[in-house]
Amino acid sequence: MQEFDVINGNKAAAIAAALVNPDIIAAYPITPQTPVVEYLTQFAADGILKSTMSEVESELSAMSVLTGASLAGARTFTATSSQGLSLMYEPYFRASTLRLPIVMAIVNREMISPQTVWGGPQDSISVRDAGWLQIYVEDNQEILDMIIQAFKIAENEDVLLPINICYDGFYLSHMTEKVFIPEQEKVAKFIGKYEPEHIILDPERPMAVDPLTNGDLLMEYRYKHLLSQQKALKVIDDVDKEFEYLFGRSYGGLIEEYRMNDAETAILVMGSMTGAAKEAVDIKRKEGIKIGLIKIRALRPFPKERIIKSLDKVKAFGVVDRNVSFGWNTGVVYQEIKSALYESGKAVPSIPFIGGLGGEDLTVNMMMESVDRINSIKKNHSTVWLTESNGGEA
Amino acid sequence: MNIVDKLSSKEDMISPGISACIGCNVELTLRTCMKVLGPNTILAVPPGCMGGVGVVGWDMMTGANCPVFFPLLDNPASMLAGIKLYYERIGRKVNVVAFAGDGATVDAGFQCLSGAAERGDKIIYICYDNEGYMNTGYQRSSATSKYSWTSTTPVSIEGRGGKKEHKKDFPMIMAMHDIAYMATCSPAFIQDMVRKVEKAMEKQEEGLAYIHVFNPCLTGWGIKSEESIEVSRLSVETNFFPLYEVIDGQFKINKEYRNPKPVKDYLSKIKKYSHLNKEEIKEIQEIVDEKWDRLKKLASL
Repeated sequence: MQEFDVINGNKAAAIAAALVNPDIIAAYPITPQTPVVEYLTQFAADGILKSTMSEVESELSAMSVLTGASLAGARTFTATSSQGLSLMYEPYFRASTLRLPIVMAIVNREMISPQTVWGGPQDSISVRDAGWLQIYVEDNQEILDMIIQAFKIAENEDVLLPINICYDGFYLSHMTEKVFIPEQEKVAKFIGKYEPEHIILDPERPMAVDPLTNGDLLMEYRYKHLLSQQKALKVIDDVDKEFEYLFGRSYGGLIEEYRMNDAETAILVMGSMTGAAKEAVDIKRKEGIKIGLIKIRALRPFPKERIIKSLDKVKAFGVVDRNVSFGWNTGVVYQEIKSALYESGKAVPSIPFIGGLGGEDLTVNMMMESVDRINSIKKNHSTVWLTESNGGEA
Repeated sequence: MNIVDKLSSKEDMISPGISACIGCNVELTLRTCMKVLGPNTILAVPPGCMGGVGVVGWDMMTGANCPVFFPLLDNPASMLAGIKLYYERIGRKVNVVAFAGDGATVDAGFQCLSGAAERGDKIIYICYDNEGYMNTGYQRSSATSKYSWTSTTPVSIEGRGGKKEHKKDFPMIMAMHDIAYMATCSPAFIQDMVRKVEKAMEKQEEGLAYIHVFNPCLTGWGIKSEESIEVSRLSVETNFFPLYEVIDGQFKINKEYRNPKPVKDYLSKIKKYSHLNKEEIKEIQEIVDEKWDRLKKLASL
């Protein structure tokens, strides 16, 4: 039997990093990610973590130190939240366009204003088009397992892209759950070594990194970057299967399908709200409503094919977004799902929900209310805001 | 070995054909520093003149004979810190060097440089200070000296204006970080520069080594190409930009003149100061004298 502990999400993330022992870790504390940095520095002080730590003066430097280290050939890790992610946007974009497989946990926190420190993935969702891979997880076990998997996905030679493992601030970062902790030797064997050939700063192999580049060549870079995102679709699914074989846990890869086999309608969710939504599905199933659930795990690359296939037989669906898309009057994930379905040619009625912003609860009641609405629509519905009073439509 | 033979015996690390302006003393500074640093170097050249003229590479025609890259304008020290940490971890000694303009150093990149200095990251950071954003047509920076005309601190039709504030005393700011080594250099004093780069290489294993080179810009400031070195020398001989170094907290002045020339001799060679009246010249002289007195006191400690 595997060893287990009862820990919060931040500790799960730090333990995952300690199991991997990346060469360089640079991090700057920010609520709700702060305990990750505290755990990491404590692990390093205790000799559990063998990484070289850099206690930087800002998130801009955290990502910049890792960009430099990765260019020198290092395996790297960091974590941040919200405003910290915004501050590192410049090197963040560049880490992907330099094709550096940096692993960064994002402890999702709402973006200001108004001033807030509570949960919501508006931070990472707002940078979904900066070229990174982004995976959103549901619980603390998934945090630990996916940070380990992240190195294997990012460093795959068909991918070579940086990756975010995103988990909800406070709901996961500060809540404790039972988490199985794999053996370090098995983890090391699973992820293997990182030996970059595609880009390196080494006097023994002199290379000009990022000279001034003409548009025609830049187009080729972008073409290959897009292609690698598409290749990552298979890699994420494959790594999930390989992980299951070695450690006994699978998450379904790009998406997780729950009671979708005979589903007539579907609710689509992402992140820690999945637990409440699954419970609502179970309750509604007992009432005879054939509802199923899809948990979006990979936002980048977007799992278009698997979503088309999974929604193939449903008559209606709804998407619960814990974020907003300014200019669309819906959440972001809803728009992404609709784009995917356009290619399938099956435009079934759908309904967008927005709720849980700024750390507000997304309750089982709200999810049941959402299921009822999904089952009642005959055509596309405007956005419904989920609030305590089960309230208002936009 | 004399300095000419010494430098000519070393490999030129920068390719020919880079498109720096005629007489540019930053190109001279870069080639000199890189000859001393040699091929076991990783070179960061952030956006600015030296990046713009093709030192990182342009169209497969130019570049450097060692690993070279563009850091961002605001993160050279942090990227270098990451590179150096990894080489330290794998036990390889490599010179990890920034060659950055004043914009990337005293303005946008200051936070990360200050952070690296405080952490003692073992990098060599060379700033070429040409008092502004020259590569884009000379906009002001916080290294621009008082009353300088720049494209963003213009002079009015009546002939009044220029920058209202004097330049940030950046070598002093870096020295006060208690770094392993701090030195100022001038392209008019190559022997002094070579010695200081060698010293920085020696001290880099103890922490951050910082070199601030003062490079009068011919094109941006309005200086005749053939007076590139003469004006650089005048900046030192007038105490406008004194040459000194700080080793383990000890200040040492490297060029001291019994009768320093009046700062007017330096200002009058430069078009960006051509609108200055007597009072303004006198004011700059007073700033220079005050700063020199402070430096003398620090050197006497």
